[in-house]
Order: sequence, then C-alpha cells, then structure tokens
Amino acid sequence: MKISPFLLLCAAATLAIPVFTHDGYVIQLLNIAILNAIVVLGLNYATGWTGQINFAQAAFYGLGAYTTAIATKAGIPWIAAPFLSVLIVVIASLILALPTLRLRTHYLAMTTIGFGEIVRLIIVHWEPVTGGTSGLRAIPGISFFGFGPQGQIQHYYLLLAALAVAVIVAVRIRHSTLGRAMIATKDSEIGAEQSGVDIVRIKLFAFMIGAVYAGLAGCLYASSIRFVSPDSFSGTQAILLMMMLIVGGMGSIPGCIVGAVALTLLPEILRFLGQWYLVLYGLGVICIIVLAPGGLASAASVARVRWVGQR
Amino acid sequence: MGQLVVNGLALGSIYALVALGLLMIFNTVQIVNFAQGQLLMLGAFIGISGAVTHELPIALSWIITMAAMALVGIVFMVLVYLPLRGRPPFLVILTTIAMGIVLENLALIIWGPLPVSLPSPVHGTPLRFAGVIISMHQVFTFATLAVILLLQFVLLTRTRFGILMQATAQDLHTARLVGIPVRRTIAVAFAFGAMLSGIAGLLVAPIFLAEPTMGGSLGLKGFVVSVIGGFGNLPGAVIGGLFLGLIETFGARYISSNFRDAYAFIVMIGVLVAWPRGIFGEKISEKV
Repeated sequence: MKISPFLLLCAAATLAIPVFTHDGYVIQLLNIAILNAIVVLGLNYATGWTGQINFAQAAFYGLGAYTTAIATKAGIPWIAAPFLSVLIVVIASLILALPTLRLRTHYLAMTTIGFGEIVRLIIVHWEPVTGGTSGLRAIPGISFFGFGPQGQIQHYYLLLAALAVAVIVAVRIRHSTLGRAMIATKDSEIGAEQSGVDIVRIKLFAFMIGAVYAGLAGCLYASSIRFVSPDSFSGTQAILLMMMLIVGGMGSIPGCIVGAVALTLLPEILRFLGQWYLVLYGLGVICIIVLAPGGLASAASVARVRWVGQR
Repeated sequence: MGQLVVNGLALGSIYALVALGLLMIFNTVQIVNFAQGQLLMLGAFIGISGAVTHELPIALSWIITMAAMALVGIVFMVLVYLPLRGRPPFLVILTTIAMGIVLENLALIIWGPLPVSLPSPVHGTPLRFAGVIISMHQVFTFATLAVILLLQFVLLTRTRFGILMQATAQDLHTARLVGIPVRRTIAVAFAFGAMLSGIAGLLVAPIFLAEPTMGGSLGLKGFVVSVIGGFGNLPGAVIGGLFLGLIETFGARYISSNFRDAYAFIVMIGVLVAWPRGIFGEKISEKV
C-alpha cells in the first residue's frame, strides 16, 4: 500500500472527527466501529486471504473480552490483561483449529458456528464467573505505566492507534512469504501444496493471527466500554462480522475497515426503519454478493478505473 | 427411561425432516441451505395463519402450507441459486444466511415477536404402554417421517426424476448436454426441499410454540444431523436425526439441561474429527 494523498486525507479526517463532535454517543459508536474493524481485519486473514470460512471470530472476540474483564476485576494489573487475553485465545484457536483444518466449506462453517455456540453457552451458564446473561459491569479501565485514558475522546485516539498497528501488521504480512502463501492457498490448495506451501500450517497461522486480533480487540473492548455481555459475542455477531468483510471487500485492508465502520454505524443511522433495517440489510448483502463479489473495495476500484483512468 | 426414548425419537424425527429437506437441495445442486430453519419457521407461520387466524380446517391449512412452501422454494431458487451459479460455495453459504435474516425479520414484521401455538392435526387419548405415554401427535410425527422417507426413497432411486436429479448433481453441464431439463429439475428439488421444512414446521409448532426466531437453532440441528449422517445420505439423515434427538433428550436429563444445544455441536465436532465425511459417508463428494 503506497501512501497516497487520498489515504493521508482519510487519516487526517479521522483524526479530526472529535474536533467536530463531542457527542459521547457518537464517539462511543465510533470506538466500537474501530474495534470491529480490528476484528474484521483479523477475520480477513483466514477468510479473505486464505479462503477458510470462519464463524468463530465473535467467540474469540468474546473470549478476549471476558478474559480481560475477569482478570482485571480480580485485581490483576491491566498491563497483564492483553497477554492473558492473547494466551487464552491462542489456546482456544489451537483447540478449534487442530481437528478442523482438514475440513472444507460447509463442514468448516458448521464447526466454527458450533464452537461459537459452545463458547456462548459456557459464558451464559458459568454465572459465578461470567455474570451469565446480565454480563459483567464496572470493569477497570485501561492503565499502563501510570497512563490511563479518560473519557471517550482519549479512548478514541488510543483505539485508532491500535487500529493503525493492526493495519501496519496486516500490510507487512500481506507482502511477506506468509501472506503470499495464504493467497496461494485460497487460489488453489493443490497448486499451493505443489509449490511447497505447507497449507495446514498456513491455515493454522491464518486462524491464529486472526484470533489474536480478536483477542486483543476483545481486551480493549472490555476495558474501554467497561461492560461485557454474551449478546455482543453471539452467533449473530459472528455473522455480522462476516457480512462486514463481504460488504467491505474480502482480502482488501481498506475494505475491512470501511465494511466494519459502515455496518456499525448504519443500524444507528437507519434506526427509523425499525425491523425493516434488517430486511434491507439482508437483501443489501445479497445484492453485494451477486453484483460486486469484491465488496465496496472492488466497486470503488472499478469506479476509479472508469472515471479517473487507471493509475 | 422409556419415556425419554419416545420423546427423544419424536424430537429426532423433526431434526430428521429438516435434514431431509436440506438433502433434497444438496443432492441436486450441492448447496447447503443455511436458511432451512427459517423456511421451517415460515411453514409453521403459514400454517398458523390458516388454522388459527382464518380458522380453516387443519387439514386444509396443511395443504395450503405445503403448496405455499413449494412456491417459496422456487422463489428461493430464483433469488439465491440462479444468480450465484458457479460461484464459490462459500459465497452461496453467505447468501443463504443473508436470506435467512431477511425471512426471519419479515416474519417479525408480519406476525410479531410473540410465540403462537398451532393445534395438532390429530386428536385422541395418548397411547400408554408399560408406563410410557405416547401422544397422538408423536405417533403422527413418526408416521409422517416414515411416509416422507419412503416417498423420498422411491422418488430418488426408483423414478425417472430421481435419476435426472442424480445426473444433475454429478455434472450439471453434462446433464444439460444430454438433454436433461436441468433448471426444471433444480426447481422441483428446491420446491420439495422447502416443502419438507414447511412440514417440519407444522409438526414443531404444536410441541414448542412458533416464533420468528425459532428457525436458527432448528436449522443448525438439521446441519448437525446432515454432518453426522453424511451430507446427502438418505438413511444417514434419518438415523442421524433420531440419534441427535436421543442425545439431546438424555443429555438434558442426565448431564445438564443448560447445555442442551451444545451436545449437538460437540457430537458433530467429534464425528468430524473421526470421520470427516460423516459416519455414513457423503453421497457425492466435493469436486476438486
């Protein structure tokens, strides 16, 4: 990804948003959008690049959030929380991935849905620890080396920084041997194997890197929103994350961010539609899959070629 | 104990019906329909509209539901299958999921979120034997499953249409080349598949109440059954369904009812680890 003027403009606009609005609700919504963007970037490794369907991403998100919530409420210093979240998520992704790496399409879809459902049921029914359906409240905030962000706007910048790191890592991986091996696995597993790619290992890496993204986003979610409940990490959320990836454009880093932000903000903007929003959302996703399988990212590049000419 | 077996088998029969509907579509076009549960819900609500809202005789509302569901199946094919022919299966899965979201929320708009009950088509005193009570509705459920299984078996293996379907499933292009009306065959498969889940909905509604969100978990159980039995495998779907019904009923009684929905997935993941193509094998395996 070259640093284009357009990209700089987007970055500047993003940084300037809190200058124009101090509405806590709007900033809170944007914070959730940024967290979702990190999770979707993680999902992109397995689904967008390696071509493996994954409905367990919401469960990894939830595991990360609950680990941080439980640990910091128990008095463990915040600085340890991200490490704990990553540890738990890596263990969980190994448990899920090792037996399922050989599975394909609908089998993989079902197994990851099942995994998510099992995690949700454990969260809901392990009440003494997880607070059951009512969730956990008053989770201690972020604090490291005497620094702790106060208020929504400081959290906004902190989360933006986290997103920037997530994007940079993704860009670096995409252009490394690992990234190319992921794309090769998606394009043709047999072809990739013939070229010396260990596809089982690549799939495992893709799942695990994605899970680590979700785990870290979960950690930040718990300590910046300071409330977790099972609803935020349910199967519905897993499908929503997948839809964000599709709408934005599978395999495209800007696409992941645009998809996550759009599908986080749209339900609030279109609140007046009530139940009809979800009907239109379903139909909209079908239209995008049928008409623009590359999502908004591909639609944008088609438009650019048409009107501006190829650069 | 005996009672648990009967209840488990009755629940399992419904899972088996969902799986048979999935199988019908899968065996023709190799598409796993993730909106099958929502089709079931739609069937239940069309039945309720007929029998409860408009007070039609229950048999008549069954016929109306089956006809309506066949139509829904064809609409479903036009909206979901036709535009996505030849696309990666992954995208088709997502499209059916999106379709499920559309159906579920349309149902919420039309029928509201409150659970509704549908009367059973059969009445009469429950059978009792050796301390086990079998309600007439359970007897009717078993009978329906048996009849549908027989019909589907004959249709798929003994009729010209079944052969057309198999040919379509094995190679769509060659099937078209040898003059098989591929599109019509596929339309019938979708109509029949949707009708089967509609029937499952009509059978579920008198036991559990019908609500717009009921489809999700029942649909997933249908897949678990298909995975256990091997996708597209007719006896596998029925045996898998009954087996899952028993596991859930016994698990809820003897282990914990909180994790009732988890048993299905645990069993499924276990089966996949041991037999990646289901215990009874896939009828047609994925093409490379």
